[in-house]
Amino acid sequence: MIRQTFCVFYDGKSSVPQNINLSLDTETAILSFETTTGQQIRWDIKAVSFTKKGTALNIACGNDPIQNIIVSDLHFIEPLTALKKHSNHSWYDMLIAQGMKIYLAIALVILAIIGLSYVYFIPWVAEKSVVLIPEEYDTKLGEMFFEQNMYFNTVDNSKTKALNLFASELNLNNTKKLKFTVVDSEIVNAFALPDGNIVVYTGILNSMKNYDELVGLIGHEVSHVNNRHSMKMLCRNLSGYLFISAILGDVNGIMATIGDNVNTLQSLSFSREFEHQADSDGYKILLQNKVDPHGMSNLFKRLDDHSLAVPEFLSSHPITKERIQFIDKLIKSESFQTADNPKLKTIFKALKK
Amino acid sequence: MIYCAYQTLKQTFMEIINAEAKNYKLAFHGKGSDFFGVIIVNWLLTVVTLGFYYPWAKANKLKFLYGETSLNDDRFAFHGTGKEMFKGFIKALILFGFLYGLFFLFLYLKMPVVAVLLLYCGILAVLPIAIHGSYRYRMSRTSWRGIRFGYRGDRSELVKNFFKWIFFTIVTFGIYGSWLTINLRKYILSNIRFGDAKFEYEGDGGDYFVLNLKGYFLTLITLGIYMFWWQKDLINYYIDNLSVEKDGEAIRLNSTITGGGIFKLAVVNVLIIVFTLGFGYAWAACRTMEFLFENIQMEGNLDLDSLHQTEENFKDATGDDISDILDIDFVL
Repeated sequence: MIRQTFCVFYDGKSSVPQNINLSLDTETAILSFETTTGQQIRWDIKAVSFTKKGTALNIACGNDPIQNIIVSDLHFIEPLTALKKHSNHSWYDMLIAQGMKIYLAIALVILAIIGLSYVYFIPWVAEKSVVLIPEEYDTKLGEMFFEQNMYFNTVDNSKTKALNLFASELNLNNTKKLKFTVVDSEIVNAFALPDGNIVVYTGILNSMKNYDELVGLIGHEVSHVNNRHSMKMLCRNLSGYLFISAILGDVNGIMATIGDNVNTLQSLSFSREFEHQADSDGYKILLQNKVDPHGMSNLFKRLDDHSLAVPEFLSSHPITKERIQFIDKLIKSESFQTADNPKLKTIFKALKK
Repeated sequence: MIYCAYQTLKQTFMEIINAEAKNYKLAFHGKGSDFFGVIIVNWLLTVVTLGFYYPWAKANKLKFLYGETSLNDDRFAFHGTGKEMFKGFIKALILFGFLYGLFFLFLYLKMPVVAVLLLYCGILAVLPIAIHGSYRYRMSRTSWRGIRFGYRGDRSELVKNFFKWIFFTIVTFGIYGSWLTINLRKYILSNIRFGDAKFEYEGDGGDYFVLNLKGYFLTLITLGIYMFWWQKDLINYYIDNLSVEKDGEAIRLNSTITGGGIFKLAVVNVLIIVFTLGFGYAWAACRTMEFLFENIQMEGNLDLDSLHQTEENFKDATGDDISDILDIDFVL
């Protein structure tokens, strides 16, 4: 069957519109027409490309020059596009032809994949990749932080000596050399740096009632060092941030900002996970040294009493009540032996002065 | 008989008038929902291919945006392909790999100052080359009625000028920046061809400087509200100074954009994007394009049916991909 329509042809040499009478042979799938200069042209529809522009169809043929025919007759376009679909159908066109529902479904699936890989896959990879980072980096990072931090603080030299002596009496499973520093401050807090530097404020020492609490605190902080939590956290935060900005950076600024905040929230819960690990490792250290594990939960009770004064401590740590329950559960679940350690007791007394 | 002659005369006269003043119309027809489809499919394929689809995705996007823009009801077309841009992307990566390689080599040799200087100078030197390559590629791969655009700038001339202007900008503490922008724009636009028609840009660095100075202070005084009018002035300074010329015939461009119009556009766009959590980006982008093109008026006597194919094909997308990596906007 032969179909015909009037349309416009551009010959790729000039912008003069040529009015032509285009014929389509539906049997052979050949388009043929005569240009205004009398030239006969035949196009196989397999060799041309179609682009729908509004209601019109643009048929392009050739590379250099590109010749175009613009057809606006719907009765001609329909059988023509049907023939084209038959001959070759690109999968991209197929995807593009899906409706809004499919688009939204695809968008949701991609979001789900991104979300899942962000929550599970990226942190896992980041944590594993910590092995590749040399321990020297931890040391450098810790030293840098320590220098900056101690600039504004006064170190209590005699207590620092005592605390180091206290720790040397304990088996802490440490691979890295540990160094303890006591800082004179009301703050009820302590923190561990990646280079093995553990800073304890006199505020937290003064709130303790028994030496087992101090062993619990040291156990907790040492676990941070042993597990390289700082470096893991850094890697997780950084990779999380990179991932989010790589995915959303292209979309727009607003989305990137939302993503940024999500990352901050996420890193808070990362750190909770690390605190949890440090608690259970600290508990093990208590048992290992035959120190009463109740010291751990007593330590948390002291923190709970001071919680109003130290919001920054609580922000990253699991809710104190939960931590107490967790330790109490551990204490009940297994039997253990404890022995009084007079040496530790004496040093603890010196620290409390 | 006399009436007949009068009719013929009148007809000829009308034809002359018609030949003198022509009608031109630019328009953007893209629908947000169609653009959303393009973006989502691009997104899907980019994720599935771990990012390797990016050049093809870019080609799809440009094909859509160009194809939905029309001049006198005939659509523009973008002929660039993902394959071309992928090749360009690889070349661009090699170039940056080389630059960073040098950087780390000198860091390793304990010469950090040399390393940093080399990196900065390298990126600075790449800039005009990227702009040049980008324009050559994009223009050559854009057509209307099958007639290609083209960019005929000379690369070494642009590099030389660019460094001269950068030097002046540095020694004047940035004041020369306005002249840099306009000189660059002038050089690039005046080298753009539309078949055998030629683009012209008539801006002046001094005017542009005053415009920015005024915009800056009024924005400060009005606590930011004047920002939209400043933006309007900048866009209009671009469009109003632009013309297309061929054999003594010309088309002048004229913008009817108002500060209020930009304000409305921006507020609605932000609302769309925020309330759809970013998914409305496609609609916002289409609204912006529509706004821009419906506000460009063209008048003159150039016959758009008389354009000839003169510009060569240029398929090396390296410059365009470098621009992408450096994240510089295409339109200056």
